[in-house]
Order: sequence, then C-alpha cells, then structure tokens
Amino acid sequence: MVSKDEREAHKSAQEIINQLSVILRTAQIHDPGNIAVITAIDKFLSLINQLADSELGISLELIGEFFYIDGIRVRYSLEYLLNFDFLIREFKKREIGKVIFKNTIRPEDMQIFLKAFIAAGFSDTPYETMSDMTSETEGIELYILMKIREGEDVDARKVIKKIYYNAVSFSKGVMNKIKAGEKVNIRKAKRIIESMVDHILEEENLLLGMTAIKDYDEYTYHHSVNVSILTIALGQRLGLNKKVLTELGMVALFHDIGKIEIPNEVLNKSTNFTDDEWNLIKKHPVWGLKAILKLKGLDYTAIRSSIVAFEHHLNYNLSGYPSVKHYKELDFYSRIVSVVDQYDAMTSSRVYSRIPLSPDKALSIVMERAGSQLDPLMVKFFINMVGVFPIGTLVMLDSKELGLVYESDLVFPDRPRVLIIIDRNGERVSGPTVSLTEKDEMGKYYRSIVKTLDPNKYKINLAEYLL
Amino acid sequence: METFGDIREAKDILQNLMKAKKTIRMYPANNPVYIKTLEEAYERFTAFFDYKDDLTLKIKQNSIYYESEQVYHNPEKEDNLALFFFKDGLRELTFKKAMSQAELEEFLKITALDFDREVVDDDIVTLLWEKDFQNIQYVVDEAFLVEVDEEDYETKAEEKLQEKVTDVNDLMKAYADGFIEEDRKELSIVPLSDKDLQMLVKELEQDSSDKTEKLSFILFELIYQSENKNDLEDAFRFLRDTIKFSLEHGELSVILNVMKKATAIIEDPLLGESEKQYMKMLSSYMGTDEIIALLAEILDGGIEIEGTVFAELVEFLDKNAIEPMVKYLGELKTIRARRSVIDALIALGKKDIQALSKGLEDHRWYVVRNIIYILRKIGDKRATEYLLKTVRHADVRVRKEVIKALGELGGREVVQTLRECLNDPEAQIRISSAKAFGSIGSEPAKKIIIDKISEKTFKERSFDEKKEFYEVLTRWKDADVFDFLMRTLNKKSFFGRSKNYENKACAIFSLGLLGNKDAMPALYKLEESGNKLLREFSHAAIKKLEHGQ
Repeated sequence: MVSKDEREAHKSAQEIINQLSVILRTAQIHDPGNIAVITAIDKFLSLINQLADSELGISLELIGEFFYIDGIRVRYSLEYLLNFDFLIREFKKREIGKVIFKNTIRPEDMQIFLKAFIAAGFSDTPYETMSDMTSETEGIELYILMKIREGEDVDARKVIKKIYYNAVSFSKGVMNKIKAGEKVNIRKAKRIIESMVDHILEEENLLLGMTAIKDYDEYTYHHSVNVSILTIALGQRLGLNKKVLTELGMVALFHDIGKIEIPNEVLNKSTNFTDDEWNLIKKHPVWGLKAILKLKGLDYTAIRSSIVAFEHHLNYNLSGYPSVKHYKELDFYSRIVSVVDQYDAMTSSRVYSRIPLSPDKALSIVMERAGSQLDPLMVKFFINMVGVFPIGTLVMLDSKELGLVYESDLVFPDRPRVLIIIDRNGERVSGPTVSLTEKDEMGKYYRSIVKTLDPNKYKINLAEYLL
Repeated sequence: METFGDIREAKDILQNLMKAKKTIRMYPANNPVYIKTLEEAYERFTAFFDYKDDLTLKIKQNSIYYESEQVYHNPEKEDNLALFFFKDGLRELTFKKAMSQAELEEFLKITALDFDREVVDDDIVTLLWEKDFQNIQYVVDEAFLVEVDEEDYETKAEEKLQEKVTDVNDLMKAYADGFIEEDRKELSIVPLSDKDLQMLVKELEQDSSDKTEKLSFILFELIYQSENKNDLEDAFRFLRDTIKFSLEHGELSVILNVMKKATAIIEDPLLGESEKQYMKMLSSYMGTDEIIALLAEILDGGIEIEGTVFAELVEFLDKNAIEPMVKYLGELKTIRARRSVIDALIALGKKDIQALSKGLEDHRWYVVRNIIYILRKIGDKRATEYLLKTVRHADVRVRKEVIKALGELGGREVVQTLRECLNDPEAQIRISSAKAFGSIGSEPAKKIIIDKISEKTFKERSFDEKKEFYEVLTRWKDADVFDFLMRTLNKKSFFGRSKNYENKACAIFSLGLLGNKDAMPALYKLEESGNKLLREFSHAAIKKLEHGQ
C-alpha cells in the first residue's frame, strides 16, 4: 500500500532526477551562465533543498539501470523516460555511482557541479576529473559507479537459471495437464511470472540472455517462456507497472497454448510442412482461445489471454491467420506479443523457419515487417530494448577478436557487452567480457563491431557461453 | 540475544495479528470494532519499534520464531497462522519501523482473506507482491512451484545442452570467415522520440477500453468461420460465459451488442440453420433464472445503468424471461430496480400474457399488485380471465388494482364481477368498482351507476363514497346524467333530511364538473339555501361553471 505521502515523495524523487537531467541537457546546448541553465538550476534547487537540508542529505544512486533516492528505487512514468535514459547514460559515461546533496545547495555549487560534469565528459578519467573539480563544494559528494562483482554475478546467474527452468517446467506441466484435462494451478503461474517480473526489473540482461539459448529439445515450452520474458521486458520499456507486467507475462506465457492440439510429429517435424500440416498449424490460435476459455471461469486475465492467443498470428494489418470477417484492430497486448513471438520464433530452430536466423538478421526482418505484419511503434520500442546486436549475436570486432553479445547496453544500443570467445591471436578463450563503450586515452573506442556472423551456421552452442 | 521483553512483545503482536485477522474479516472498515482492532495492532508494533528498528519473523510449518525463540505454535490445521503463511511458500516476514498504519491495514486485509473458501485467484505471496509494501518485506521459498516430477528439469536440460559442445573447428571457421565475409550492414536504430511516447500514452489510454466486448467479437468470428458443430457449440458456450461475466461486471452494453449480433445472424439468409439455432438458444439463455438473477442484482446494486441500454436489451429477451423476472420483482429492494423490472415486463409481457399472469398467483400481495399494474399497462384483453380470478384476493390493495385494471380492459365479461363489487363490504372496493364502470364508459355502465345511486340504501353510505359515485357519473356528459342530477336536486325527503342534503351536495358537485350552464339558475337558488353544505357546494359549482375551473 502506498500512502499519499509516499506517492508524493515518489513524485518528488522523479522530478528531482528529471530536473537534474534537464539541467545537464540544457548545459550541453548553452553556456552554464545562460538564463535557461540558471532557471533550470533554480528549479532543481527548489526541489532538492527541501529534502537535502539535513546532516544526512539526500542521495541519488545509480545501480544497474535504475536510480535510487535514499535507497528507494525510483520508478518513472513514460513522460520521464527520455530524461531518465539520458541521465543514466551520462552518469555511466562519467562513472558516477552516487551523488549526495547535503545541507542547502547554492546555485554556485551547482555551477561548479555542471562545469565538472561537462569537463568530465571529455576526460579520460572522467570520475577523477569530476571528483577533483567538485571537491571545493561542501554540499555535493560524489561516489564512483560500483561494478558488479564477479561472485555476485555468478550467484545472480544461478538464481536466474533456476527461475527460467522453473518457468519452462511449469509451462510443460501446464500444457500436459490441459492435454490430460486436468486442473491447472493459476496461482502458481502468477507466482512464476511475478518472479520473472522482479528479476527483469533487477537483472534484465541475465534473463534476456536465457532467452537467447535456443538449442533445447522442447521448443514449445521454452518458446512460451522466452516470449513471456521478452514481453515483460518490452512491457517494462513501455512503462507498464508491475501488476500489468504480470498480466502481460501470463498472457504471453499462454499465447501458444493451442499447440497442444497439434500432433507432436507435426510440431517437431524436421522437414518443411505440407499444406495440410500448415492448415493444422494455422488452427492453433483458435484452439488456444478455446483452451484458455475452457481452463477455468472467465476473468480479465483469461479474457486477455484468449484474445492474444487468437490474435498473435493475425498481423497488424489483419493479413495473417485465422481469417476474420468483421474485425477492427489487434489488441494492444497482441501487438506486443506478436513482435516478440516472431523474433523468438525466427531465432529458434523449430517451427515456421526450419533454419534459425541469427539475432541481428531476425531483428532486421522484424524491422521490415513494421507497419504491415507488426505494429511499428512496438517494433521501435523492441529494437531499442534488445539493441542493434541482441544477446547471442556472434560478432567480429575490429580488435580481431570474435565474441558473443552478452548484454545489451540500455543507453548505447550499438555498443553491447561482448564475451570474447576467440582472442586476437586466434586462440579459443572463454572471456573476458568487455564493454564496447570503453575508450582509450585518445577517446577512441577500444573495440567496435565490424561484422556479424550467424552462430547457427557454425553450430555454436550459446549455452556454453551464456549459461 | 533478545531480551525477555522483546519476546513477550513479539508474542503479543502475533496474538494480536490472529485477533485482527478475524475481526478485519468480519467487520466493515468504518465499524468501531474494526477501527479499534487496527489501532491496537498498530500500537503493539509501535511499542515494539520504540526499541527495535524491525521485527523479523521466521515461519515454519506450525511455528513462528522471533530470532531463535518460538513466539507462536499451533499443531492444528485450523486457524494456524504459521501454516497460513507457510503453505504459499512464505518463510520470513519483516515489519520495519517506518511501517504506517495504512500499510498494516492492507497487510491485515490480505491475511483476513479466506483463501480456501473464497474465489481468490491469488495466493498470499502474490497479494503481498502486488501491494509492493515499502515497510513489510518477505522471503519466499519458490521450490514448491516446481512440480515434483520435474524437480530435476534444470539439470536434465543443462546436460542436454552441454552435450552439444561447440566444435573448435567450427569456431575457427567462424573466426576465419569473420575476416572474409561482407561487412555488416548497419541496422539503424531510430531513438525513441517524444512523439513515440505520446503515441504510446494514447495507446495505453485506448487499451483500457472494454476487453469483454473484444472477446465477444472474436467469438462471433468463430461462428462466422465455424467448420463444424463443435465450433458452434464452443462459441455458443463461450458467448454464454461472456454474457454472464459481463452481467457480473455491469457491462450491459456488451450484452446488448452480443444480442444484436446474434439477431443479425438469425436474420441473415446466407447463414445456416445451425448458426441460427444456437443464436436462438442464446436468446433463451438470456431469459434463464441465472441471468435474470444477475440482472436483478445489478439493478438493485449501485451501478449506474443507462436506461436506453436496458430498454434495448429487454427487447432481445425471450418470453422465458417473464417467469424469473416476476420472481425477482418481489425480491428487489430499491424502487428504481422495481420500476425497471416493471417497465421490462410491460415490454416483455405482451409476448406471453399467460406466463405473466402466473405472477397473479404469487404469495406476495405487492407482486400480485405489480403484475396487475403491468397487465393494465399492456392492455391486452386476454388478461381478463386471469384478472377476474384475482378479484377475491385477500388484500384490499390488490383488489383495488384489479378492479381498476378490469375497468380499463372493459368488456362484457367484467361487468357482472364489477357489479358485485359495487356491493362489497369495503367502501374502497365499491368506489374502485364505480370508477371502473366510469373507465368502461358504456351506456350499460352508466345505467348501472345511476341505478346504484338511485337505490334507497345508497344515501346511507358515507358522504365521501357518495361523492365518488356522483363524480363517476360526470364521465358521461350527456342529458341523461344532467337530468338525473337535476332530479336529485329537486328530491324532497321528510325523513333523513341530512342524508338527502348530502346526496344533493354530491349532485351539485357533479353539476359543477359536468359543465352544463343550464344548471346555473338552480345552483344560484341553492346558493341561498339555509343549509350550509348546499350553500358551499353550490358556490363552488357556480364558480366552476362560470370560470371553467
């Protein structure tokens, strides 16, 4: 339960971060003495000085992809999305992990902070530059960005793996139970999705990494979970709240439930489908709708799930299947799930396309389909989420290293973190993981992607590297 | 090491939580008992937080521990707080010092739910998760989410994956190709703009529109595309569920649209008989007790219902809706709801007067009276035979209404019954019957009233009753009535003079209403009468005739 006071405090927190971003953006265009900058600073001070006027002050901390004020994560609404993203990028660039504003901050303090911030943007040692330049202000303290420690990373991966496989095993159980006419525990499904939502909010890249591994035997179950994870992640980028994300995740998990009616020999066939088999496949949206509606009594989640099960192959322009007579448009959730579903299916090796596509190739097809099969707005958000090089993309670097995209970068979509699998000497290695945002003393990037290759072509087992 | 005081307070808090769990469930939030319980529970916590920053409780199957001390234990399954938390995987609960009373209240509301008996789709962990408490934290064991036979799913899946080790030669081939393959084509990412966000906000706003309606559209698509009877059967079943669900959520417009589409199918010459048959069944379903009960609940509840939507919906109801509607008419609590059902039955009753008339046998007098009113409003003469049976109803209010209805329906068959009612021991009934004859308005009816007034014993009736009878006569503005009234004015009596004056006063009153100015000379004369009653009535009648008031 969030009280009125808490809501207001949260709103203030959002405004503080937003206003700091406004100052910094304005200062990139104008001189710090410009009236636009001064006005932005005044507004920021009026917000911060109400709260900073104490011994402890107020702390603004960047952890992962989120800001925390006084230890509480600040969730932001859509209106703040661009400014938040900007500030995350700029903080990362300067390696700033935390800023504490103490006592009453004067406009002069903010001017010093601004100048330091701008100077650090051009420095090889940005954090040190900023730290030195702001040392003369009494009210502003800086702390360096905490890197994730190796041990923590390993533990987090273990947890994520557990969550992922729990979800897959649950998905399998659900499908088997429905097939056998048994009751399905919806409470359990919700718990699993909630767990995924929590971890997407905290460890998005790790869970997304799990979806990049496609070499499982039981495609349908993994695909359902992958679509659920990617949908939640996309929903999060759309600014949806936790409760809605859970509903969306549930809906996505059940989108292919109609496939239980398709015989396994057809579903797992290694050659192309015959016309008759295709006709069978095309029935799964209707079967899915029926299965969900028969599962239990109607409720809003069941309604939304059945709508998405029916529509997920219908296409944005209604050109897909099943054919419809009097129809207006796809449901909002269906438009989200369709994008994710097509992407995951294309990068997998079982249905529709017998040969899986590399992530970047699949992404370019997704882009081509924007406006016809897929909702262009959802495609845009999706691509901004997964980056130019989605996790699992095999990349050749200008450093003569071969690597796999390991994590996407929220603010630099074309500069992900890459796991090196062949070093510059042509030796097989397992790591390190490098960020392509790293630069040398001349400000030149250490590494850039020059080519992408298809990991499937070379039978590269992503699980070896990403698990 | 915790102090004895801490442990005692922790025990106290748990006892209090148990108590609150029950009380919060039993009483509404504005009840003093509820408020007191909540305040007491919060006080216990604040007392604890005077010395500690948080209270962490470890949860076992039948016990709860504070640090290493057991502060709660219950080996029974019933009312077991530990088990209540434990069964959904909750293993630790922490209440922090900053917890507000509002947070505690929300927490208690969750614990007050009876997850076994109530239709709650969420377990306790989901509800805690959705609340996103700032100062109540919990630790959950997710192991129970995994099916027993799938416990080693992770290991098996990983083992399978590890079998497919990447061949070093393939890897080296990839590396070599990296130098010779074409340069990558840059995939251009267009950053999100303010315009995108605005579009998204618009999408999200639109998304809140009705999903049940959307589902119903899809279900009709299933009907249009149906390949066999099973498809139709399923679509029909789902449409039925959709109707029920919409009713439960007060979404009458969804049902209206479903029924419009169903009717369109019935009337579409291009569609098959099976489709039409199912749609007719849907129409019948709308009239079932189950649906009408829900409709009655909505009407009686606080949900605002658009009148036109309800009226349109009633048009789609079949005659089988009449019986349950009559049933629930007697159970509705609000006037507004009763009015709506009465209007619905007026519209619907025409389809089956016999079914509607069965309502006349209802044991509740007010239901019978409402049905008579409805039959009156429908005005179908087929109702007469059923109404006649109600004339002897035990409740005078019913009898009055039925006599009124019979009068409005008219016809030869009602005359005898109404005539008998003119002699009823109850004055109200006699008056109603007279009025009913007025409604019939025929020559024989006029004659019956004149004859009744002319009876010797009539003058013995109360002045008010007589006045009503005389007033009925003014329904016929003809010479017969005028002459009859004039004759009454001139009637002389030596015995019972005061009763005679009353009759005359009634005749004067009626002459005023009749509007024939030929009565003026006689009335002027009577205005000078020594009898006060005649003077006053004459004065009023003259005024009426002069000014047409």
